[in-house]
Amino acid sequence: MTVVFSFFLLTMLIVTAIAIVRIRDLFAAVMLSGIFSLLLAANFFLLDAADVALTEAAVGAGISTVLFLSALAMTTDKEKAAPSNRIIALIVVTAMTLALIYSTFDNPAFGDPDAPIHQHVAPWYLETTREAIDIPNVVTAVLGSFRGYDTLGEVFVVFTAGIGVLFILGAPSGKPRQTTDLHSEGLRHYLVPRVVGRMLTPFILLFALYVQFHGDYGPGGGFQAGAIFAAAIILYALLEGEKSALEAIPRSWLIAMTAGGALLYSAVGVAGMLLGGNFLDYSVLADNPVAGQHIGILLIEAGVGITVTGVLLSIFHAFAARDKF
Amino acid sequence: MYYAVTFALIITMGLALARAIIGPSVYDRVLAMNMFGTKTVLLLAVVAFMLGRPDFLDLALTYALINFIGVLAVLEFFRDRASRRKDENETES
Repeated sequence: MTVVFSFFLLTMLIVTAIAIVRIRDLFAAVMLSGIFSLLLAANFFLLDAADVALTEAAVGAGISTVLFLSALAMTTDKEKAAPSNRIIALIVVTAMTLALIYSTFDNPAFGDPDAPIHQHVAPWYLETTREAIDIPNVVTAVLGSFRGYDTLGEVFVVFTAGIGVLFILGAPSGKPRQTTDLHSEGLRHYLVPRVVGRMLTPFILLFALYVQFHGDYGPGGGFQAGAIFAAAIILYALLEGEKSALEAIPRSWLIAMTAGGALLYSAVGVAGMLLGGNFLDYSVLADNPVAGQHIGILLIEAGVGITVTGVLLSIFHAFAARDKF
Repeated sequence: MYYAVTFALIITMGLALARAIIGPSVYDRVLAMNMFGTKTVLLLAVVAFMLGRPDFLDLALTYALINFIGVLAVLEFFRDRASRRKDENETES
């Protein structure tokens, strides 16, 4: 039955994707990309990938809509007609699609227990997690401990991407935004969003902390928590104006957070080396190897969360600080 | 029971998607996206019980919170754009 539901959701996904490409109104495209992300997340959820669905929800539907709208505010919201000669592009894309579809024929059937992915290291992860790390959420164990290198790489990718965006957007040559009063005060004069938003903000922050520290036991972890945390601050910036948000968390803090989270992650790895283990081997962090794994995962997840929050908020403020690109 | 509800929700999502694509006005699209988010929250809640994992309701909660922020961002976008246009007109005249 799940397959039937997935089929419907995937069909809607394709319809949405085609609509995003075809539509000329960029605002509509932003709305549709939000819908696209919600559909994708629902699909992940149906396939029992709760951690991925949570990330997609927080980043895709929330933060990227906000960032797209910030970008749209600097430009026009009508797409320019592309120059013609699309036939070559169409042929390339069609050929590529056919090749990809052809290659899927060699894939094992959906849900096949003999597929290589279920025979390679996955059984070992499932068996070892209980005795070596002893947390219920195997995804967090794989992400934080077994595959700690990969996650470290991901954190540095996020960090580098943040620096790249700040280089482009934060360049001082750009025309500084003229802050008339109307610009920077957000939705302050609108009573209903303000009251509701004020009530919600602390709960969103609390929920972000829950996702951060409950990642060992349920879906969640640093990436998701960082995105939710950033979303809460962005909500504050929308309601009270960007200036108030910058007063609450100044730019220097954001840069320190961006670098500090990645640094914390690497420091945990180096600490493992200094205590006589391998890089990112948490077992040596405490007398009991299992307790050491818990401490290590907690610390690196905190590092991930801090970096993600710092990068997302820096990008948001960089967009908001410019008038025109 | 859960299956029927899920089907009903997916059909509603399809209708909201149609409205978001057809438009024609901006408000149709904003409402369609908001409604789509709400339906996704409901779908997740139903599917969480269908799969026998009610602890996944956390996710539905995230969607509900994030959806609210998305709608506020849209409101702020229109308010900001209106005030920009006003500024531009004033400097031109």
